[in-house]
Amino acid sequence: MALNATTPTKIKKLSPGELQILWADGHETRHLAPLLRGLCPCASCQDEMTGKRIVLPTHIPDSLEFKKIELVGQYAVHFEFSDTHHTGIYSFEYLRQLCRCPECEVSRE
Amino acid sequence: MAIWNKDKDGGVTEEKVLDVLKQVKDPDLHKDIVSLGFVRNLKIDGGNVAFDVNLTTPACPVKDQMRDEAIALVRGLAGVKDVAVNMTAEVRTTPTMDKTALKGVKNIVAVGSGKGGVGKSTVAVNLAASLAMEGTAVGLLDGDIYGPTMPIMLGIHEPPKSVNNRMIPMESAGLRFMSMGLLVKSDQPLIWRGPMAHRALQQCLFDVEWGELDYLIVDLPPGTGDIHLTLAQQVPLTGAVIVTTPQDVGLRISMKTLRMFEQTRVPILGIVENMSYYICPHCDSRDYIFGEGGGKRAAAEIGIPFLGEVPLDVAIRKQSDAGSPIVVSQPQSESAKNLREISKRIAAQVSIRSYATGPILEVE
Repeated sequence: MALNATTPTKIKKLSPGELQILWADGHETRHLAPLLRGLCPCASCQDEMTGKRIVLPTHIPDSLEFKKIELVGQYAVHFEFSDTHHTGIYSFEYLRQLCRCPECEVSRE
Repeated sequence: MAIWNKDKDGGVTEEKVLDVLKQVKDPDLHKDIVSLGFVRNLKIDGGNVAFDVNLTTPACPVKDQMRDEAIALVRGLAGVKDVAVNMTAEVRTTPTMDKTALKGVKNIVAVGSGKGGVGKSTVAVNLAASLAMEGTAVGLLDGDIYGPTMPIMLGIHEPPKSVNNRMIPMESAGLRFMSMGLLVKSDQPLIWRGPMAHRALQQCLFDVEWGELDYLIVDLPPGTGDIHLTLAQQVPLTGAVIVTTPQDVGLRISMKTLRMFEQTRVPILGIVENMSYYICPHCDSRDYIFGEGGGKRAAAEIGIPFLGEVPLDVAIRKQSDAGSPIVVSQPQSESAKNLREISKRIAAQVSIRSYATGPILEVE
């Protein structure tokens, strides 16, 4: 993926459970807390060796919210969720890959 | 506006001076010094013109060239008799720099290498001391938790004092420094697992009273491990400098460190080639014992700046062992001159980065 497409210019919490990311290539991504939580890349949510998911989005209640959002160095975002889970580091690439907008869904297929 | 600026017979005006100064370009930032806001305190008194040029670092490699150009251009204006230019500098902060932790630190630069023994710490100490000699406030953090060498190179072994639970960095060679070697007896090994090293580095970063710093240089341990990851995650690094030897094998391993920085989005400021050639202490002849131009070629291949060559010089080793960096103890030597040039190129790269922008976080 191009560097522009994975470089955020703005990361904004729109509501307790929704995050907006504007990318340097002009794209906009909206992420819901329950989906990000369900796709957490940390070792207790996803098997380190096989990549098999242990926690799935279907395990997460829709009411889940962001408790804390902060940047990790210059390459990722760290979330603490309302269920106290806080071990995932979401790289900019991963956050862009997870974009669920119609345009990205089409290009995935 | 002052009266002389309204001079009708074509006298010297502020506008005219600024207009010719627009021809002076900062070669690194690719803009003229007027648009960059470098020209300050412009005073015109009849034919006498005086102004400051406020650069982004006192260690600017083309400082003299820019001053001479500015003087020549203004002197060329009709009616100008005398031109006085005062070169000043104000180091800019990396835009993504955290506002709370390390709040007085403007830029953090990591010095890394792929493998050990390439002289990374020697280069780091001399670069930090060079920047301090240019009049900037410099801190040096020995990130090599397991094999700290800074206390030897800077000739200080006393443990730092603490005030209000914060350690006061030691001072030597015009810079403030902190090293695990100051806290542990020199012959005692640290037998720690990753999380302990992580904690130790965190404390050296955040529990030290660094104060106001233009540059904090972090000397990393070799390779790509816990310390590197901690640093890349905990602080927004302005950039990283890679130290390598001219040998192919040294270079190839350096690439790993380079890729690690890329993956964590740490800008690479450039490659420093150490042990480039051997200067014979008897006849001053040069020998490229590890091959010539390896670092330069690698830098060109991957498109990053080549910052310069440091010779394999017995004087560097002697001064390091004696606790006084060569740039301070033998400033006129070839090695010291090379190191000081390299430090200026790094300062220029840092200035370029300070004009980049990071993501805006609106989460409250």
